[in-house]
Amino acid sequence: MSDAEQPTDDGVPGDDEFEPIQVFPEAEEMDLRPGADNCYKCSTCDTNCPVAEVDDEFPGPKFQGPEQWRLKRQDDQDIDDSVMKCSNCMRCDSACPSDVPLSQMHNTARGEYVEEQMNTFSREYVRNRILANYRRLAPLGSMFPRTTNFVMGLSATQWLGEKLLGITGEREFPEFATETFREWWTKRGGAKVDNPDKRIAYFHGCYSNYNTPEVAKALVRVYEHFGYEIMVPDQHCSGTPMFANGMLEDARRSAETNVRELAAALEDGADIVASCSSCSMSLRQEYPELFDFEGTEAVAENTWDAVEYLRVHEDLEGELEGTSVDEFDDFAYHAPCHARNQGLDGQTTEVLAPIDGVAAHDVGDSCSGISGTYGWKAENYETSMKIGEEMFDHMEESEANTGLTECPTCSMQMEHGTGYEISHTLEVLEAALVGDRTEAAAQ
Amino acid sequence: MPRDTGVLVLGGGSTGCGIARDLAMRGLEVTLVERGNLTDGTTGRMHGLLHSGGRYAVSDQASATECIEENEILREIAGHCVEETGGLFVQRPEDSDEYFQEKLEGCRECGIPARVLSGTEAREVEPYLAEDVARAIEVPDGAVDPFRLCVANAIDAENHGARVETHAEVVDLLRDGDDIYGVEVRHESGPGKRTHAAPGTTEEITADYVVNATGAWAGQIGAMADLEIEVRPSKGVMTIMNVRQVDTVINRCRPKGDADIIVPHETTAILGTTDEEVPDPDDYPEEQWEVDQMIDTLSELVPILEEARTIRSFWGVRPLYEPPGTGTQDPTDITRDFFLLDHADRDGVAGMSSIVGGKFTTYRAMAEEIADHVCDKLGVTASCSTADEPLPGSENIETLEAGMDDFGLRSPVARRSMQRLGSRASEVLETDEPNPVICQCEGVTRAEIRDAISQSGSDLNAVRIRTRASMGNCQGGFCCQNMANELHPTYDEETVREALDELFQERWKGERHALWGEQLSQAMLNYALHATTMNRDRDPASATGDVDFAAFDGGRAASDRVDGTRGAD
Repeated sequence: MSDAEQPTDDGVPGDDEFEPIQVFPEAEEMDLRPGADNCYKCSTCDTNCPVAEVDDEFPGPKFQGPEQWRLKRQDDQDIDDSVMKCSNCMRCDSACPSDVPLSQMHNTARGEYVEEQMNTFSREYVRNRILANYRRLAPLGSMFPRTTNFVMGLSATQWLGEKLLGITGEREFPEFATETFREWWTKRGGAKVDNPDKRIAYFHGCYSNYNTPEVAKALVRVYEHFGYEIMVPDQHCSGTPMFANGMLEDARRSAETNVRELAAALEDGADIVASCSSCSMSLRQEYPELFDFEGTEAVAENTWDAVEYLRVHEDLEGELEGTSVDEFDDFAYHAPCHARNQGLDGQTTEVLAPIDGVAAHDVGDSCSGISGTYGWKAENYETSMKIGEEMFDHMEESEANTGLTECPTCSMQMEHGTGYEISHTLEVLEAALVGDRTEAAAQ
Repeated sequence: MPRDTGVLVLGGGSTGCGIARDLAMRGLEVTLVERGNLTDGTTGRMHGLLHSGGRYAVSDQASATECIEENEILREIAGHCVEETGGLFVQRPEDSDEYFQEKLEGCRECGIPARVLSGTEAREVEPYLAEDVARAIEVPDGAVDPFRLCVANAIDAENHGARVETHAEVVDLLRDGDDIYGVEVRHESGPGKRTHAAPGTTEEITADYVVNATGAWAGQIGAMADLEIEVRPSKGVMTIMNVRQVDTVINRCRPKGDADIIVPHETTAILGTTDEEVPDPDDYPEEQWEVDQMIDTLSELVPILEEARTIRSFWGVRPLYEPPGTGTQDPTDITRDFFLLDHADRDGVAGMSSIVGGKFTTYRAMAEEIADHVCDKLGVTASCSTADEPLPGSENIETLEAGMDDFGLRSPVARRSMQRLGSRASEVLETDEPNPVICQCEGVTRAEIRDAISQSGSDLNAVRIRTRASMGNCQGGFCCQNMANELHPTYDEETVREALDELFQERWKGERHALWGEQLSQAMLNYALHATTMNRDRDPASATGDVDFAAFDGGRAASDRVDGTRGAD
């Protein structure tokens, strides 16, 4: 009866004590119900969802997205807990023939679920917060990389991780590099090329900074080969693992820094490139869907995948014509879902075609199954491996004994499932254009 | 002469069901007959507004006062049919300040809690309101599900011994001299719960007293006994949006006009309405321009409506009445008050009263007054208890919400199901059997469908109004056949097919007025699905007579293939 018995106001005596209360959520909380208008229930999203394919308990993106949103009322706080089973691969976005904002609905629902319904003292919350905020822990690890790698590699640590936090003990933690990319960059004295006409701002993300600086270095050398001046702005995590864990507040803080720094680089005449497909996806699609800081749209519109950028702005294939590579052999190539969603799934095989000595064999359009932090959770490990099975099979079937991809966690999964060594496309371009690593390092 | 029943109520809308419940609770023997489903007439074709009275606070304060009183009663006795949304009377820059002030004062004079919000505050409550909305008055309007409310009244009447016959059309009033003593009805499929494909029968039902609660159809009933009842049916269009653009009832704050209200209704929002007199409540034009004009006008309040998806439109007919000689020209000026016409006083014909006019929000008060009148006629002394006794489904709603059980359903499905079922939730949803979702748009499970079937026979439209199944954005395209499937094996194939056809046809009827944009894509997909997977565009099994299977040949010989290849023999 609260509505009917509310005191009246507007100059009626006795209503001085009326205090406005915040009944409705902040304006920034999004009402995505109108997005359900686009859904005509064809279920194509469900048939493209890798999680639904292997997990009968998962209701699929149509329920998670348009159906759940449509059933919502403004005062409802209920989000079904199955949203935490979504791996955020975002395949439903490209599967939908009708532009339903599926991943935006999932991200927002997951954010609400974590905010409103998850116990912040629960093991799951703590674990997810740790996984989502890998970027905050990584600097500690890389301060003493060898010790950290040793400790993290101990089976006792893995056992504890599983028992205490629910992080699967089946996987080996990625090793920290002895020198981060940013340390190398500083030691190197920053950019070697000055060119006010050709500038890029490099969003390296966390993984190529702390774990695989060779990828970041490859980008630097390839871009400098084409005469680009490289800027390396201050940056935080792109937010991908935070979205996937519903930690929207953490993501917002990181995004605010990234948008500010990257928008400043745009002012300096740079375009933005990223070497990690999830980072570019996040800047391009999720930022404008979830945030509205000043400059968000400009950053999204001017962000590129690093290889895509060169294909558009340089004659990359022409430059690669006649080059050869000795240090790599043929690759089993997996296109990450987040690259696929950006329309980049055919890119790597095409770019590598003119190089003598290597070929990339596409292992098909299945999802690797790890989807960032998803496959690290003990409860998802089996689902993750089941999704990955098709990719593992195809890798083993292909005429190659090493793997290639642009996504850090896909590469973990590929390595975990096959034992292959996994490289990044930029490393191959580096070898073809600049020479092998020892040569390159001498530059 | 002994009669079949004490009181015979004609009409299964809110008024008729309300009267039947009231009289049955007073201990009278009651029979109710309805031509179609419950709510088939005007009750099932309204916008679902539970008036605070704010709408009548300037023009008709007596109605306004009655509205707020009944509004508060219904929140108590019918909690599972009511959503306490609140409402806003929104003023645009071009709307009169003077009227805004009159509205505010009118609300206060009628005891309707009212509070002024600035444009900014109003947009905080409803973010999709137009940027230039000037001010708003907040009132306790609500949303009510007329189907659930009406069905709950009928169920409670039955619980108190009443007989309720749907699909029983009155074909004649039985009149002996100056005394009406009953009716002749035609049961579409025999008495009792409806079974499609069962043969029709007729029945004479005699009664001590007849109450004609057929609303816009009251004149037609009266004519059967040569009584003239000057109902002036007036049509209004309503359009259902696919999602709720607003969670509060939005009224335009201006004197009167078409297209001035948006009511959040379950998963949808309903736009209303127009007001135009029609000669025949069963046959009037439904025109697309009425829909277009309404969307255009309401987009001034909520601009997102311009681009939003509509899933269907429907027209309802108000049972307006005014005493002979009033001569009002414009139907919007005809009073919304109700009139009890005792034909003994009026026409010298005893045994029947007719009830005309009135509005949904005050159905209970109307029923009470008529029940008093009937008791008076029959010399019965019994008092009304409908204002205090909750309807089935609304008993102990508060304790129900406190002890939320999810019945193994996903959160939003559990919540919506429990809101629909109210205190009947555990009785219906607690099951050891698998309970899949049958209607995904509205989150309706098999258990709820089966419960509705147990109430209403093979009538899937009756299942629909009880559960909302097939009322979502696919308009039954994905679930009608699954609903029909639940009729089997209780009902045979022929019955199931007829029930399915009838439901799907009914869904299509409203969709015809929404065929553009996404709903057109939806209709095309529904068509393709039904045609290609169920052969429902030209199903030989539904043709009359046996299928001549011998007429089918064995297919073309492999050697005759167009591409010239030969299959393996």
